Amino acid sequence: MAKRIAIVEDEIAIRENYVAAFKREGYAVDAYEARGPALEAFAARLPDLVVIDINLKDDVEGGFELCRELRARAPDLPIIFLTARDSEFDAVSGLRLGADDYLTKDISLPHLMARIAALFRRLDAMSKPQAAQNRIKRGDLEIDTDRMMISWQGQPIGLTLTEFWLVHAMARYPGHVKNRQQLMDAAQAVLDDNTITSHIKRIRRKFVAVDADFDAIETVYGMGYRWLSV
Amino acid sequence: MNLKRQLLLVSLLTLMLPWAGCEFIRETESALRQNQQQLLAGTARAIAGRLAQYPEEFAVHAGASHLIGDQLYGHELESAPNIDGYFDDWPLTEASLRSLPGVDGRIRFVTGVFEQYVYLYIEVADKNIVYGDASSLVPIEGGRHADRVRLISHSPPYLEDFISFTAEAPGAVVAYVNNAYGFELASTIHAYWQDVPRGYQLEARIPRSLLGTHLGIVVNNTDNANDAGVRSASFATPTPGSFVRTSGELARIAESVLQPGMRLLVTDANGWRIATVGDLRSVQETITAPVSTWLRFAYDALLEPGKEPIFSEPDASGREQQSYIVTAIGGQRSAVWFQSADSGRAIVSVAEPVRTATETIGAIVLQQGTDEILSLTNQTLARLMNASIIAMLVVAGVLLGYASLLSQRIRRLSTAAEQALESDRIETKLPSADAADEIGDLSRSFGHVLGQLGDYNEYLRTLASKLSHELRTPLAIVSSSLENLEHEPLSDSALAYTARAKDGTDRLRKILSAMSEASRVEELMKNADTENFDLRPVLESTISAYRDIYAERAFTFECDDSPFPMSGSPELIIQMLDKLIDNAVSFSANGDRISVALSTGDDDSRSRSFLRLRVANPGPPLPERMRTQMFDSMVSMRPHKDNKHLGLGLYVAKIIADGHGGRIIGENIDGGVEFSVLLPSS
Repeated sequence: MAKRIAIVEDEIAIRENYVAAFKREGYAVDAYEARGPALEAFAARLPDLVVIDINLKDDVEGGFELCRELRARAPDLPIIFLTARDSEFDAVSGLRLGADDYLTKDISLPHLMARIAALFRRLDAMSKPQAAQNRIKRGDLEIDTDRMMISWQGQPIGLTLTEFWLVHAMARYPGHVKNRQQLMDAAQAVLDDNTITSHIKRIRRKFVAVDADFDAIETVYGMGYRWLSV
Repeated sequence: MNLKRQLLLVSLLTLMLPWAGCEFIRETESALRQNQQQLLAGTARAIAGRLAQYPEEFAVHAGASHLIGDQLYGHELESAPNIDGYFDDWPLTEASLRSLPGVDGRIRFVTGVFEQYVYLYIEVADKNIVYGDASSLVPIEGGRHADRVRLISHSPPYLEDFISFTAEAPGAVVAYVNNAYGFELASTIHAYWQDVPRGYQLEARIPRSLLGTHLGIVVNNTDNANDAGVRSASFATPTPGSFVRTSGELARIAESVLQPGMRLLVTDANGWRIATVGDLRSVQETITAPVSTWLRFAYDALLEPGKEPIFSEPDASGREQQSYIVTAIGGQRSAVWFQSADSGRAIVSVAEPVRTATETIGAIVLQQGTDEILSLTNQTLARLMNASIIAMLVVAGVLLGYASLLSQRIRRLSTAAEQALESDRIETKLPSADAADEIGDLSRSFGHVLGQLGDYNEYLRTLASKLSHELRTPLAIVSSSLENLEHEPLSDSALAYTARAKDGTDRLRKILSAMSEASRVEELMKNADTENFDLRPVLESTISAYRDIYAERAFTFECDDSPFPMSGSPELIIQMLDKLIDNAVSFSANGDRISVALSTGDDDSRSRSFLRLRVANPGPPLPERMRTQMFDSMVSMRPHKDNKHLGLGLYVAKIIADGHGGRIIGENIDGGVEFSVLLPSS
């Protein structure tokens, strides 16, 4: 059975384009242009994945509200913010509300599809038993590539998809400097310098929350970042 | 010329005060002088009337045909000179000596009267003195000759007497009187002959009884006894002029009417002074306080100058020839002022003719000092000067202070306006904004203009991010549509078009992301975790990366070994350096050398140590007019249209430098451009 994606987007041209693209990939798509109709429909049936725009018509923060309500109802439902708002503040707010990813509308359709596919893959992997061959271990770091889960010193780190891919790209070859372009390619996103900087910062913070002595990610100024093998 | 100087110049107008005061003093002085002159003239008239009753004292003895110069003047002597052939014991000055030309040089002589004697002194220039002997002691027809002096005494219409002085040797001389009846030795006459290098001097005392009313002197100078020699006479006419003697009678009369402090001179019709009474100094020696030099100078400059005081003194020759006295003798009264001497003494002199019913028989000259006027004037002048100087100083001081206040306010306003222009956030509150005067108006207008400028700047600053935000949605529509289109069956040419369209949207996306970069950096600055780090290794690492990225440029990095600690975000500092390097690269040519230098220093204006990061590149200089704007949003200095540069790079660099509490400046250096970033050192 085809996975069902719900898209909440007030801009009809974009909505229709995304709907067409999702359908082409074989997904079932429900499209809503505002929070009210979307919530009504979700009450009846939850989709498998939700793509939400933050700014919904006159409802400036409507996407955030919707995310909050959905997350309350379905803790494991993958939620992606797809918005024109590129400020750091909005991204942090969105992720804090429990979204799995925060994307700007700059993202290309293929990149978007790759992310959605990855999220579904992870969802599937979660329901299967852990396969040892898809695990990478680097000292205290353990990466489960199927489930896209990362743990440090045995404790899971809650990373977004982008963050997971960044850590994965660095940790696969410890000691090698990954430049920005390489990281961008790994994260399947067009990110500018500042976004990468803030991503790395967030990743570090999440590790430090678990281990105050964490310093495995080194900044090589002017070049990029590398994972230090312990 | 600044305001202070202008107002000081205006304060020079206070010089009008002393000028006006001086005008007033001049008027007063003039009136007082006029008054005194009139009083003196009145007195003079009274005295002249009184003296006119004694016409015989003025009598010019008969023989009006004689020239005035033919007359001898008997100086009134205060003491009797010794008869020794020398003039130095005479109570007269050398100026009293009259002179006449002689064959060997000047002949000088003077006659004086003391009690019953007439004194004669004569000095004759003579190269060759021929002494007399028995045969030549008296000049007689056919006799021998010698150097001799003769006094000719005449009382018309009687015959003349000759008193001859001929020396047999230097020393006492025997005088002989000869006339038509023969000659005789005059034992009552004492005379003394003194040889001097230039000739000889003769001094004689003759009883008045021996002399007539007319006197003359004749000098015979010969070179040998056989020659009559040359005759020099004190008179030009055949007979001598009348002998002028002072009149004791007139003096007595005048003395009785004269007030103290006045001096009276009485002259006869020829101007000979026949009486001198009174003394100008008899009142008090000095009434006035000593006058300072500058006051003296001011006084002379302000008041009408008079004649030199020396001319107010009686003429040494005995004859008053000053024009005002001559005028009086001519029948016109006249007055003259003599300049004050050092003592501050000015003298007014009034000449009044002495008339009988028929003719002018002489003149009187009445003189008086003006001590009181002068002292009054001096005091006023001194007080005026002091008051004026104080007033001027006060006015100048007040104006100077006021000017300082004004210029200080204006300078503060101008400084504040400049600072407001330089700083990012424009404050609309300027000094003097609450003042009610024109400076307040100016300040308010400035504030208004600055406020509008600030609004405009704020608009520009946010324009880029607003624009990029608004454009992002339509761009997403276009790009997602294009991506969908790729999955439709398309002809080859349609594919080419979509490829081009995608290319265009990619570029558009890059532009939009560059436009929103500034606002994202600002956001990052607010949220950035500051960390303490050493700037040097960060730069070294970054610059080695640049060497790879910009292989066609050479990079140098100069730096001391010392640590360069600072606090902030190294990523942002690198981003700032990226912008500067990007700028340097785009303005330089392939193969050029871009130099980066790091040094430490003390920022005097903020009195703390800082790090100086410099990025220099060869290339075209910064245009002067862009100097202040080049760090503003969306300002590009690039001469040609370059779609990759929106003029945001330096703006981002400035945001980062400012966010770290630093400054960024761009300067032209020799053959290129240098950007310096000052960052506070931790």
